Amino acid sequence: MILEANNLVKRYGDLVALDHLSLEVKKGEIFGLLGPNGSGKTTAINCILSLIKYDKGDIHVFGRPMAPDAYDLKKDIGVVMQDVAVFNELTVYENVDYFCGLYVPDKQTRKQLVEEAIDFVGLSDYRKFYPKKLSGGLLRRLNIACGIAHKPKLIILDEPTVAVDPQSRNRILEGIVALNRQGATIVYTSHYMEEVEKICSRIMIIDKGRSIAEGTKDDLKKMISLGEKITVEVFGISEEQLEKLENLPHISTVTCEGNLVEIRSHKSKNNLEKVLEFIKSENISFGRIYSELPTLNDVFLEITGKELRD
Amino acid sequence: MFRHIFAYRLKVLLRDKTMIFWTMIFPIALATFFNLAFGGLGESGSFNVIDVALVETQPNPQFMSVLDMMTAGETPLFALQKVTAPRGETLLADGHVAGIITVSESMSLKVNQSGIRQSILKVFLDRYAHTTRTAGRIAAEDPQVLMEMDFTPVVFTEERPVSHAEMDIKLSYFYALIAMACFYGSFFGMEEVNLIQANLSKRAARLNMAPLHKLKAFLYSSLASYSILIVEMMLLMAYLVLILKIDFGNQIGWVIFTIFVGSLTGISFGGFIASMVKGDENVKTGLLIGATMAGSFLAGMMFQNVKHLVQLKAPILQYLNPVNLLADAFYALYFFNTCKRYLINIAGLLVFAVVFAGSTYLVVRRRKYASV
Repeated sequence: MILEANNLVKRYGDLVALDHLSLEVKKGEIFGLLGPNGSGKTTAINCILSLIKYDKGDIHVFGRPMAPDAYDLKKDIGVVMQDVAVFNELTVYENVDYFCGLYVPDKQTRKQLVEEAIDFVGLSDYRKFYPKKLSGGLLRRLNIACGIAHKPKLIILDEPTVAVDPQSRNRILEGIVALNRQGATIVYTSHYMEEVEKICSRIMIIDKGRSIAEGTKDDLKKMISLGEKITVEVFGISEEQLEKLENLPHISTVTCEGNLVEIRSHKSKNNLEKVLEFIKSENISFGRIYSELPTLNDVFLEITGKELRD
Repeated sequence: MFRHIFAYRLKVLLRDKTMIFWTMIFPIALATFFNLAFGGLGESGSFNVIDVALVETQPNPQFMSVLDMMTAGETPLFALQKVTAPRGETLLADGHVAGIITVSESMSLKVNQSGIRQSILKVFLDRYAHTTRTAGRIAAEDPQVLMEMDFTPVVFTEERPVSHAEMDIKLSYFYALIAMACFYGSFFGMEEVNLIQANLSKRAARLNMAPLHKLKAFLYSSLASYSILIVEMMLLMAYLVLILKIDFGNQIGWVIFTIFVGSLTGISFGGFIASMVKGDENVKTGLLIGATMAGSFLAGMMFQNVKHLVQLKAPILQYLNPVNLLADAFYALYFFNTCKRYLINIAGLLVFAVVFAGSTYLVVRRRKYASV
């Protein structure tokens, strides 16, 4: 086990930020910590990194207790925090070199690592730029390069794509997968379910400092009763027909907005086929039709009764 | 690791334009302003030769020989212009002479205003008249006694200078300015604490996650700040001495030592405020500027009289104000022949440095935070 946190409790006065949270990260996986803002993701990361005090629990990294002075453990950990933490007075190259130098004293080795990190995040053309000249997306990439240049075995990324343009976001996500392929174990926190779904091999959903579900994305989706969501473009449907549609077996809700009818179903085989048969039997004229599997947001919604992004 | 952190801190701080402005450009600009504003201060108390119009209506060789003595030598008292009475009146009216001495059987003095030069002329003539009258009386009674008399003035006081230096009032302003510049080094101290306390900045949080003892990192980084401040102070001193021609006496080695101590106290003061005061960086910056300016004001940077008022009305404040201790250390070094006052000031500064640095250490040594 690369990372193990047991029974973590962290209180800020009356507020319980972490409520007996336990998690395990295995070697070589991309572990996603998914939860809405304020759910305790960053607090959990700060506890794991021994940055903040916690009231209860214990943390082991690489099988050994984590502590502020556990320097032999820290040298194999790379951290990319939510907020960009670089020096505005240093260029891209100098920033990466400075932070890498805190881990790698040898100048020659470091030079190579810095070059690799800059190439990896796609900032080769910007190495002499100062951070103020970089766009938000490029700045995030620089933040990542500063955290990973020393080639750590465990990389913790805390919402690294907040306020990033889609192009940079994709680049960052691809980079994380590439780092994982190179052998790094990743802990990735986000409130963007699409990102977590896309790159994480195992996911923990947390809310109010508690773990509410854990497993692969398929495991998580199996936990809920909700089946697929079917959307049909119709050209004229009556209230009566909508009511009939809702009364079909395994259909939970039907909503209509303009020409689009959204049908949510419970888990069952052939839901789409049954809906199509109904439309045909009622002679309802229709255009596009598509079906989607439940998302992690649906999982979160069913378990907590609220949207992930609330 | 020392070289890595030290070198990068130098780079970061030297490229920080705001920091360089407040710690180097601002004191130099203020020194230039002081030099323009107080340039004539030192001259107001100096003595100039008194211009006198001499109107000789009757010959008086005895008096003329005395006058010749007063106009000769390296530091003459009078500059005489022998003129006619109407010309003397014109010179007096135009302000070219301080007074008209008319030489006849008895001497007379005419002035058209009161002042130090006119008073000196009056005292001179009074004393001459008094001495000649006394000598005349004695000569009439016993000429032999007069022959044996010593007319050298008897002085009942002895002059013992407290200083080897010449008095220059404007120096006090420059001392307070140098003290202020040292204490503007507190910005460096604040930056260093911000860079090491994970609950104060994101960069500090990142540094705290590195496999590095945070107090070592703090020390290496602070040394870079201290080095820059010392170089800035040396540049300020060079500007004062070489460009503005301010004379700081011949104890330059001790002056530099005092700057080292003052800069140390200044940086530790910044660290103290940054670690003790809760609030954002702007609040702390405001507090540092306010405290330094208040300390400089009480040390006499804006009005020299304030320093004396503090000495008279609240002497304890002299010792509680580190800016004053530093300014006064320079003052003591320049004006006094003994080092007691200087040592008291330096000891006070070191006590402050220890208290500030010690308190900062107690906060900075914390390894985990309640929140970041």
